[in-house]
Amino acid sequence: MIPAIETINLSRRYGRMIALDQLNLRVERGSIYGFIGPNGAGKTTTLRLLAGLLEPSSGEIRLSGQRLVPGSGQRLVGYMPDFFGVYDDLRVWEYLDFFARCYGIPSDRRSRTVDELLSLVDLSSKRTAYVQTLSRGMQQRLCLAHALVHNPPVLLLDEPASGLDPRARVELRELLRTLREMDKTVVLSSHILSELAEICTEIGIIESGKMVISGPVDEVRRQLQGGAQLRIRVLHSVEQAEIVLRGLVGTASETLPHLRKVRLAPTEERTLIIELDEADETLQMRLLHYLIGQGLAISEFRAQAENLEELFLRLTAGE
Amino acid sequence: MRAWHFQLNPIIVKEVRTRMRGMRPYLILTGFLVLLALTGLGIYQLMLQQARFGGTVLSAQVGQALFRGLSFVELLLIIMLAPALTSATISSEREQLTYDMLMATPLRPGQLLWGKLFAALSYLFLLIFASLPVFSIVLVFGGVEPKALVKTVVLLLVTTVAFGAIGLFCSSLFRRTARATTVAYLLVVLLIGVPLLIGAVWGQFSNPPGQPPPPMLYYLNPLSALFAVTTIEPGVIEGGFDPGMMPFIAFDFSTGGLPFLHLLSSGVIFYGPAGVVVIPIYRATLIGYSLMTVLLCWMSAHLVLPHRRWHLRWTDLGFALLLIGLGAVAYFTHAWWYLVPPPLVMGPAG
Repeated sequence: MIPAIETINLSRRYGRMIALDQLNLRVERGSIYGFIGPNGAGKTTTLRLLAGLLEPSSGEIRLSGQRLVPGSGQRLVGYMPDFFGVYDDLRVWEYLDFFARCYGIPSDRRSRTVDELLSLVDLSSKRTAYVQTLSRGMQQRLCLAHALVHNPPVLLLDEPASGLDPRARVELRELLRTLREMDKTVVLSSHILSELAEICTEIGIIESGKMVISGPVDEVRRQLQGGAQLRIRVLHSVEQAEIVLRGLVGTASETLPHLRKVRLAPTEERTLIIELDEADETLQMRLLHYLIGQGLAISEFRAQAENLEELFLRLTAGE
Repeated sequence: MRAWHFQLNPIIVKEVRTRMRGMRPYLILTGFLVLLALTGLGIYQLMLQQARFGGTVLSAQVGQALFRGLSFVELLLIIMLAPALTSATISSEREQLTYDMLMATPLRPGQLLWGKLFAALSYLFLLIFASLPVFSIVLVFGGVEPKALVKTVVLLLVTTVAFGAIGLFCSSLFRRTARATTVAYLLVVLLIGVPLLIGAVWGQFSNPPGQPPPPMLYYLNPLSALFAVTTIEPGVIEGGFDPGMMPFIAFDFSTGGLPFLHLLSSGVIFYGPAGVVVIPIYRATLIGYSLMTVLLCWMSAHLVLPHRRWHLRWTDLGFALLLIGLGAVAYFTHAWWYLVPPPLVMGPAG
């Protein structure tokens, strides 16, 4: 299948500084791709290149299989910049009407498009309000609506959740889910992983202009973790539980999982974290059965997904 | 097949919507008209005062003085307002962080510039046309040829566009509106103030001393051009001037009784052996401003691009053809606009 976005050895220099170095990116159609990296990693440069606002120093960009040349991609992508501006002296409907005119939408369709978009971003009640009177979250949604005015297949959102309060973030997440249902391909960037972890189907981690890792969220997590973790909480006598589990470390068993390490959870009482090669449901069941058989009073037993934030920090540490 | 549909420039629609919103544009318009009306009243009072002190003031002379005074006030307002209205056009988009959003749309730089320039200047055109009823007072007194009226309006319109283009260019060049406005006004001072300053000291450094400055020095000075348009060349009869054809003879010929205007006579009025000659430098001003406007718009169209700013495009062909066309017009009409003043009238010793 032809990917929605593909970059081939994409590089961008600002003078002597290399902002983007041989980036190879592939975003499948209908996916929500999270572009993660610390400040200055090259996220905004990549999105501006994809939006046609910058020219690559080398390499190429393909949108739906077509090579992007300057001025050719505007109708294929909707772009929301990280620091977006709004025309304060326009009313909400006028703001969208203006961008609809910029995209050459004929007058008979313009009014309907504006109404549909206002409904989509839940701003119908603010139709005649001045843009300057909207809250930050509402302005963010309005800006997102402007990027959708020409119904592009690809949306590029640069730091869409920055500066939003928790409620506005939840609303944004809901909106992104709706867009995914509308079969849009969304690429969004953030330097805060937790913003993206819940909503993205794929993520890419970029550091110093280079892609460190990219792929579906679970796959990236698995690759980064290099194994699995289990979290076990006991009612009492955590020492006994620790002894039993340490007895399994390094032992070769056909029925039980292969444990690598056992440690006490640093912030929680009576809780142990077990690192193991793999832990499918059958192996987890067998281990639980074994531990109960050893007389341990287990109150909680679950697979522990390492926080993406921690993985990201570990991955980019020392760079 | 995609259906063709006519659509107004989106920038013009947006700018007109916002520019005419609120009280501000109407207050400026009112202030502008009040200032013009007060100027007219002041000139009329001045004429009355001169008549009271024994001068002969003809109705036509009042009309001419009013016409000239109102034209100069209007030109001064245009000079002050045009760069201010256009020097924020592009830089404000950058400051408001809407520039990227605009550049991400299929809107072409030409559309952006044309829309911005037209919207800003349309307000000035509104001021010019709204002032026509005030100008009509002149008709009550008479003394002004329709040709002079047309020339004045054309000069005002061309100056508006040229000074607007200066603001637009600065706005495209600089990211900050404050800097763009400052540089735009510096350029205005350079065009207006510097020639007048050089002209004032020209005679002291010329060889032989006392020579008048060449008209060329004032070609791009709109005040000198307007002075040339509104000065009526005296009729010449054999052996000297015809007093009956010198409308301002009762006061000072060159100023029509208005204060300060004699400062602008340099480079425009020459005293030749055949009498007083008014050099129509406004012709060169019109051609010079047309060339300057096209050049500034062409540079702005490149500066406004997000990347590959100086790569040649198809639109450059249009600009180039326009420039070549104007250059050809300037070349073939040089006898019309490039006028050499008569030799200086020397005293008996000379």
